[in-house]
Amino acid sequence: MLFRAELRKLLPYRTVWILLALYAVLLAGFVGMSSGTVINGQALGNTLYAFPGVWGKLTYVASYFNLLLGILLIILIADEFQFRTFRQQVLNGASRAELVQSKMGVALGLTGYATLVVLGVGLFFGLTRGPEAAPGAITAELGAVGLYGVQALGYLSLAALLAFALRKSGLAIIAFLLYSWVVEPLVRSQVPDSLDRYFPGKLLGSLTPTPGQELLDTVAGPSGTLLPTQALPFALAYIALFWGLSYLLLRRDL
Amino acid sequence: MVLELDHLSKRYGGTEALRDLTLHVPAGSVYGLLGPNGSGKTTTLGLALGVLNPTAGAVRWFGQALSAASKRRVGVLLETPNFYPYLSARQNLQVVAEVKRAPTSQLDEVLETVGLRNRQHDAFQGFSLGMKQRLALASTLLGQPEVLVLDEPTNGLDPQGIAEVRTLVQRLAAEGKTIILASHLLDEIEKVCTHVAVLQRGQLRAAGAVRDILTSADRVVLRPGPASSLQALREALAQLPWISDVQAEAEGRVSVVLDSAHDPAALNEALFRQGIVLAGLELRHRSLESQFLALTS
Repeated sequence: MLFRAELRKLLPYRTVWILLALYAVLLAGFVGMSSGTVINGQALGNTLYAFPGVWGKLTYVASYFNLLLGILLIILIADEFQFRTFRQQVLNGASRAELVQSKMGVALGLTGYATLVVLGVGLFFGLTRGPEAAPGAITAELGAVGLYGVQALGYLSLAALLAFALRKSGLAIIAFLLYSWVVEPLVRSQVPDSLDRYFPGKLLGSLTPTPGQELLDTVAGPSGTLLPTQALPFALAYIALFWGLSYLLLRRDL
Repeated sequence: MVLELDHLSKRYGGTEALRDLTLHVPAGSVYGLLGPNGSGKTTTLGLALGVLNPTAGAVRWFGQALSAASKRRVGVLLETPNFYPYLSARQNLQVVAEVKRAPTSQLDEVLETVGLRNRQHDAFQGFSLGMKQRLALASTLLGQPEVLVLDEPTNGLDPQGIAEVRTLVQRLAAEGKTIILASHLLDEIEKVCTHVAVLQRGQLRAAGAVRDILTSADRVVLRPGPASSLQALREALAQLPWISDVQAEAEGRVSVVLDSAHDPAALNEALFRQGIVLAGLELRHRSLESQFLALTS
């Protein structure tokens, strides 16, 4: 029932469509233009799109666009406070847990959308521009897309927590950007490497490692980030923690 | 009892918004919560409906602790109409129907009831305050609740709208629904309510049947004629056992309260028999405002 109510709110909302389109267009555009990037006097060229390596590179690029999804979810949650519709839904018989669950449903929907866009962009560029794929190469590293999905859900969960805590979209968006770009990197620089890797931003980032990280590691020494598979259980734990805290925050007066 | 509030208190930081409120709303009543702005009416209803957490006290609906299920038996308009501005009236009601688990087949009926059927496809953000209020009333009717909680339901409505809402409330009450109506308008409470609780600065001042709380006697104002002195008039009045509360008024007049068995004509006749000729006799209805002031001061 409440998920259907969410759909009834989302589908006619232009902001949703604009941000979803922006995510797909920016990602596809960036990926489409990357082959022209010149490094050491040589264009990267279409080998960039070769299966299966394209999945790792693509999900790394897509991780930068998670912010857009986070901002969209913040707007959707802060709207409910601004329009006092969370309050009204509780008056109308929804429980606070149901309200949090319905927003979790929206976060899952956005994650599904982002994962599908990444799959679509990868298949499109891989099949149309990449060299001919060896048998099985297309699906060989598809797990990277799954890990990207968990990462996107992780960022969305953090965004939701900030929106539930601050209740105003402007404030929550600023907090989201500041946390990702300034606060966490600053705090991380002050703690030993053994702890550093478990901070939410760094941990979620390690689900989509920088392409060629292994090579960098052999040159510059281990970077201290967890492997994606090591990071996965911690990421899931963070997701659960963020939604749990969101529920506790929503128990305040509405 | 439909709603029982027991020793309910709410504190915001250092401010006490509600202090030790105990109130019982019987089934089938039209229960008015009366008080000036900021007296704690909305806080009381917010606590009763679980959007605010009480500092102390308990709330029971239909004899049980407040739950999502019990709230679906109640239609609520609290403070302001809360809707998604970018959705149309109908789309907003569809969202409400999902939350209340009410069939969408009721949409046309409730839109018709509040007179918004012609504007149902217009966005909420373009509505006037009165139309927003009507939509909020429509949403309270979804799911055919047994109880309606209406907080200042005539806010923003024009005189015709106010009359329509009163008629609607009376019709719903006649259908057997319990209605809890918060208002700062005495007139509104007196016209539609069977019971009333008077709140002031977060405290209950009086509660009971409207006829016991709000109706108090009218006064009769007397002006003695040139042949009768004020003193003679007072002495004559003192002879009448069915007269009380004699008070001096401006311009040499006197006002009194009659008991229910006597009317101004009887008073005029009794005074004339004692040789007092009046130059003026006027029935002054006690204003609701003065009743309210008497209750709250």
